[in-house]
Amino acid sequence: MKIVAPIRQLDEIAALARAGADELYCGVTPREWAERFGGASANRRPGGNLPSLAALAEAVELAHHNGVQLSLVLNAQQYSVEQIEFALEIARGYTDMGGDAVIASDPGLILALAEAVPGLRIHVSSVATCRNADGARLYQELGARRLILPRDITLDEAAEIAAAVPDLEIEAFILNDGCVYEEGSCNTLHLPGALGGPICLDRYAYVHRHRDGRPLSPALAARLQENDAAYRRWLWYRFSCGFTTTAEGMPFGPCGLCAIPALGRGGIHALKIAGREGPPERKLASVRMVRQILDAHERGESPAAVMTRARDLRPSHEHCATGFMCYYPEVVGEAERARETARHSPPTSPAPTSD
Amino acid sequence: MSAPLTFLRRPPAPPPTGASAAPPTALAALPASGVAIAVSMVRPRTLERLCADTPARAAFWSTTLHDAALADWLAPLRPTRLHVGSEFCERLLPEPEQLARTLAEASAAGLEVGLLTPVASPEVLRALEPLFALLPAGAEVVVNDWGVALRLREFHPLLQPVAGRILCRMLKDPRLGNPQYAPPAAHGFASPWQQRLFARVGITRVEMDMPLFAGADSFAGVPLPLGVHLPFAFVAKGRMCRTAGLARPGPERFAPRPFCHHECLGLAARTERARDGTHDAWETLHVGNTMFCRHSAASLAVLAAAVAAGRVARLIVPGEAL
Repeated sequence: MKIVAPIRQLDEIAALARAGADELYCGVTPREWAERFGGASANRRPGGNLPSLAALAEAVELAHHNGVQLSLVLNAQQYSVEQIEFALEIARGYTDMGGDAVIASDPGLILALAEAVPGLRIHVSSVATCRNADGARLYQELGARRLILPRDITLDEAAEIAAAVPDLEIEAFILNDGCVYEEGSCNTLHLPGALGGPICLDRYAYVHRHRDGRPLSPALAARLQENDAAYRRWLWYRFSCGFTTTAEGMPFGPCGLCAIPALGRGGIHALKIAGREGPPERKLASVRMVRQILDAHERGESPAAVMTRARDLRPSHEHCATGFMCYYPEVVGEAERARETARHSPPTSPAPTSD
Repeated sequence: MSAPLTFLRRPPAPPPTGASAAPPTALAALPASGVAIAVSMVRPRTLERLCADTPARAAFWSTTLHDAALADWLAPLRPTRLHVGSEFCERLLPEPEQLARTLAEASAAGLEVGLLTPVASPEVLRALEPLFALLPAGAEVVVNDWGVALRLREFHPLLQPVAGRILCRMLKDPRLGNPQYAPPAAHGFASPWQQRLFARVGITRVEMDMPLFAGADSFAGVPLPLGVHLPFAFVAKGRMCRTAGLARPGPERFAPRPFCHHECLGLAARTERARDGTHDAWETLHVGNTMFCRHSAASLAVLAAAVAAGRVARLIVPGEAL
């Protein structure tokens, strides 16, 4: 499996490649785009983009020099006709630079890219919210070569899609930056923090009620109150445990490291690290974490050993046990059992002794 | 989507909105022909009240929508369609026996049936097959997933796919109070590429929510017969369901693998931002995995004018109280 990591500036490229990334992805907001359409409309991340096409060309060259591929993100939920025409110009220029793939979500743009830039690899963004094989086949018919699965998918579903569409590469989330709502079904802005931020983190007070107008019983009201408290705990995990890290800089938050053996068995082609707008140190630590666990899997360690290694990495056993930090919480039980077994088993090889 | 920095300029407070706003903008009367009403329900019942006389319908709409002016506007037109199922949750599809019963009851009431379908996991695709088999030739299936649309084209060509509102992506953030965001809030149906995609999977009708800051042009440029949802727009939906957290403790309480006892059919929440100095443009509520906002009276007046001008072929109204 390949490790796919985000960049927002040129000096991240060599470091992430050295740390073990196989592919990188970036956005770009040329000044003309920002002037015509606003900076936020190119790819949903106003603060995480390369500033110009010249910088993009340099990024492509640097990536290839460091032995990694670079994909360009054009994944707004929807583009106007004028924006699609402009995006096609960007894609043509990017192809001339030697760029490797465009990540897109709007099916209209995907169709337009396939027709207008025929040699270009198209990766379907997670924002497309495609989580079945028939949808994957349609995108493949339109010209896509890879499908990035949405965050909210189970391992069984991912494996089923990969098996059903074997000629389409499948990429799955592995680390960082959870969303609450499905990206493709969230029609809101990430407002500046002072005005509320992402809507899922905004401070909404919930007044529960029966839809038919009956009053809530005290018992149900108490259950709803407990559920709201649990939801707020889950939300903290979903948003990277308050964007905390270990002392070594390893990020807490949405994670699928324990699921790497299952993702490998399921025919997943690439593992996506999210967080284009994050600091370089976070990206670097993230790539190292995934590299370490993926290497263990690829050199043939047992799934139980890989899971235990993943659990011991930060370590974050207490967080892991909640399941709230997991992209694939269905493996929590298996990972817990693997770690308990490892703790209570004698070492498989004798410890070295000194003479 | 992310905010342009110009939003840092706080907009002026919007006029009061929602059911309690006063006085509501006058609604142009519904024309007697040229527009149809579809009623959407997860678990259809009380169809007889929908198909009775105007006063009974007015009472039904008033109880369901909590807006007397809107109820009076809708009541003269007898609904002709029933949309059953769910666009938002894979756990709210009807069982085949339920759908068969609904088809019979709707037929007796003189209503055509369409099936609402959500974003589809592989399991949903499997669950849809026996439902498709029950639908009569020509029945509409509202699709919110391109995979479902392709499946209909390939395996059920006698059913009519309709592009649902989840496929119509546009900005609908209820916290925005400034019309400067109206341009990016437009629908994308006019795109030639989008139209080719519709043709490719056989889509012949489209549905949308009302845009923010709806204006005279909001419903223009749609190349196919248009259905518009009222009085609620969906703001965002998850696969994870906050309400379903009531159903199970443990690591998968808010996980994508769905499990619940359909708690959302009985429960909802009014949501309000606990933030000083904000003045949200739209009333919001949360049902299951979805946040909705309620249109302002002014937006409904724009919709009524678009209906009168023949730009909207169908109004889609929830038949269950949110």
